[in-house]
Amino acid sequence: MSAVAGYAAPATGGSGRGTAIGLLLVVLGWELAARALVGAFVLAAPSQVLAWLIENRGLMGRALAETLGNAAAGFVLGNLAALALAGIALAFPASQRIVTGVALVVFCLPLVATGPILRVIFGPGDGPQIVLAALAVYYTTLIPLLVGMRAAPATWFDLIASYGRGRVSALIHVRLMASLPYLFAGLQIAAPAAFLGAMVGEFTGAERGMGVLTIRAMRALDVEMTWALATVATAVAVAAYLAVGAIARRVLQDAPPIILAPPRAEGAEAGIGRLLLSLAGVAVAILVLWWGAIAVFDLNPFFAKGPQDVARALIWAPNAAMARASLGAALGETAVFLLPGYLAGLAAGAGLAILFVLAPAVAGTAMPLAIALRSVPIVTTAPLIVLLLGRGALGTIVLVAVMVFFPTLVACIHGLKQAPGQVIDVFDSYAAGRLQRLIRVRIPAMLPAFFAAARMGVPASVLAVTVVEWLATGAGLGSMMAISASVSDYNLLWSAVALTAALSALGYAGVGLIEVRILRIYAPEQLT
Amino acid sequence: MAPEINGPPGVICAGLAKTWPGGVDAVRPTDIQFAAGQTTALVGASGCGKSTLLRMIAGLETPSAGTIEIGGEPPAQTLRKAGLSVAFQDPSLLPWRSVRGNIELALSLARRPVDRAAIDQLIALVGLEGFADTRPAQLSGGMRQRAAIARALATEPRLLLLDEPFGAVDELTRQQLAQDLPRLWEARGTTTILVTHSVTEAVMLSDRVIVLSPRPAEVVADIAIDLPRPRAPEDARKPGFAAHVDAVFAALSQAGALRDRPLAAQ
Repeated sequence: MSAVAGYAAPATGGSGRGTAIGLLLVVLGWELAARALVGAFVLAAPSQVLAWLIENRGLMGRALAETLGNAAAGFVLGNLAALALAGIALAFPASQRIVTGVALVVFCLPLVATGPILRVIFGPGDGPQIVLAALAVYYTTLIPLLVGMRAAPATWFDLIASYGRGRVSALIHVRLMASLPYLFAGLQIAAPAAFLGAMVGEFTGAERGMGVLTIRAMRALDVEMTWALATVATAVAVAAYLAVGAIARRVLQDAPPIILAPPRAEGAEAGIGRLLLSLAGVAVAILVLWWGAIAVFDLNPFFAKGPQDVARALIWAPNAAMARASLGAALGETAVFLLPGYLAGLAAGAGLAILFVLAPAVAGTAMPLAIALRSVPIVTTAPLIVLLLGRGALGTIVLVAVMVFFPTLVACIHGLKQAPGQVIDVFDSYAAGRLQRLIRVRIPAMLPAFFAAARMGVPASVLAVTVVEWLATGAGLGSMMAISASVSDYNLLWSAVALTAALSALGYAGVGLIEVRILRIYAPEQLT
Repeated sequence: MAPEINGPPGVICAGLAKTWPGGVDAVRPTDIQFAAGQTTALVGASGCGKSTLLRMIAGLETPSAGTIEIGGEPPAQTLRKAGLSVAFQDPSLLPWRSVRGNIELALSLARRPVDRAAIDQLIALVGLEGFADTRPAQLSGGMRQRAAIARALATEPRLLLLDEPFGAVDELTRQQLAQDLPRLWEARGTTTILVTHSVTEAVMLSDRVIVLSPRPAEVVADIAIDLPRPRAPEDARKPGFAAHVDAVFAALSQAGALRDRPLAAQ
């Protein structure tokens, strides 16, 4: 026993110092930049942020407690929902495509619009914040969970069967345990996302919480308060991410995989016919749920519009042409911000990941920081970007890019490391240079991770762009949804929600299709 | 362990065949009888369908045609009584359970009482004394196979199905395992079916070697191995042993199995 005990000791340290140095550099650069820009009223130095926090600790503490409570409730509810959905998909394998498809569309509902709608349904109180937090987390838990449930070698199931046991035993003894690392990877992403969801919920007319303070700070152009709130939100998100990671290491006796929303394997072998069929199935299920929800909750028809209302408003109502025109115009405005930001974020993430691989010393310092920053609810820092870059196009594009950038960076660095060592050895044996190795081995090995990040980046960038439009620029779909909610033009609001969710889900599915093609060549093992 | 009602069962396959959904024939209609209490090896080229044959007997694969009787019962019924164990080429130990935990799992799946002392004894018997509470990741490949064999034996199966149980380890370890482990089930008088593509291993471990043709599998030779037991590795160089190995190789090459897969290398 003692001979092997040594293996069990986890390899800790090492990266800790790199992170500390990186963090120190960031704070130092921040302080210097703030001193240089003093008088521009855009940047508060860390020392000023600290001073503000100490001075207003009571206010901040109450708001933080409120938001944390909502986030925790949403986290629990959302993850329970994910578990239940995974259970349904597992019990009825035929339903899996429908379940994941409906889950995706619901995940793609723009929080900017669901916030006000939930506010009307719930009235004042914590309801909307909690529901939005739950909506922000359940999908990122569901997908890894579904993958994890299947991520066991076939012989483990043979073993269970060879003792005459069936699916229940397989679930208890194999699937649940095998899915734990994936579950934790999902929870690790979910923890900060719940905080984000709760804050966005508080943007929409809550009485207390960090989101309320953020709005207040932005309206008052209070630079120190804005920076203090963003700092606290960041710290909370990173802490939540690290805490779940620590629990996972304790439970799993190993770090959870740095999961990048693994591909949906069932898309691999499906023909175009089956694809259309499941698309139709998802559409029908969505319509039924939509109608059903309005009927079951007995929602007021004045504000709760069903699919038929949306169709009428957009197709045969007297002013349908006008509605279509304004939706189209808003969509155009949004696309102008969204697409460049999305592409820039992807390019910057992948590019920087490649640079890191060429300079491994930098990667050692930057990687832990990037992993931690991936968890930052970027949207909660939207006011900062507006402060820094103004309310123009640049600020929005940068925010969308940043939202996509960190997950892409982490995924790509992870992917670049997946290059098979033996293939690298082959290249070394021909004395191939670093660049050759990068182009021919590492970048192809990175593609699966890159596309997984690109896929998850679609709803994230839609969220980012609509929030900024709503909070700051006053243009595009985000602003349109906010305005139509406040002037009670519910036909337009629901139309905008349906359009945004549909386009977002289709974008996600479209990237997913490209991904499956890429994986078939570069990582066929992920499709089995 | 007198062979009575609960003694080792004979296995009778009649007209057994397997066709994969794509229309590929894995096993051509085959009649084979495995004698109770004997060790029979199935030998053939990689992918010839011998594992499919074993998996059908284990009840893990449904035959396309024909029947299997284990002691007069279909496999499904034997499975329900946990009357057989399978050892796979991959040790298939659950990584989150210790060696003991994996064995306990098999016992509870088989609805048998968990006797800690008996488990410790079994772990010692396969040569893993002191590693009962170690997880598979911290064991070597050979040790994992030992643990898998211990798990397979823990439920005291009357029928033991071995699918290349020593296939995933290096040659030296393989010889050592083939030396240490078979005596455990031989001592119990279990009916054993062993799938392997190592001719030497088949002759070393079995009372009888059945040679299968390349896919679709068909019996091409049935060779009795009447060498005295216990057999030691150095016996492999004795003339009697070599004659049996030659006979198996001859049958394999006659079946065309050797054309493109040099089995002698293994």
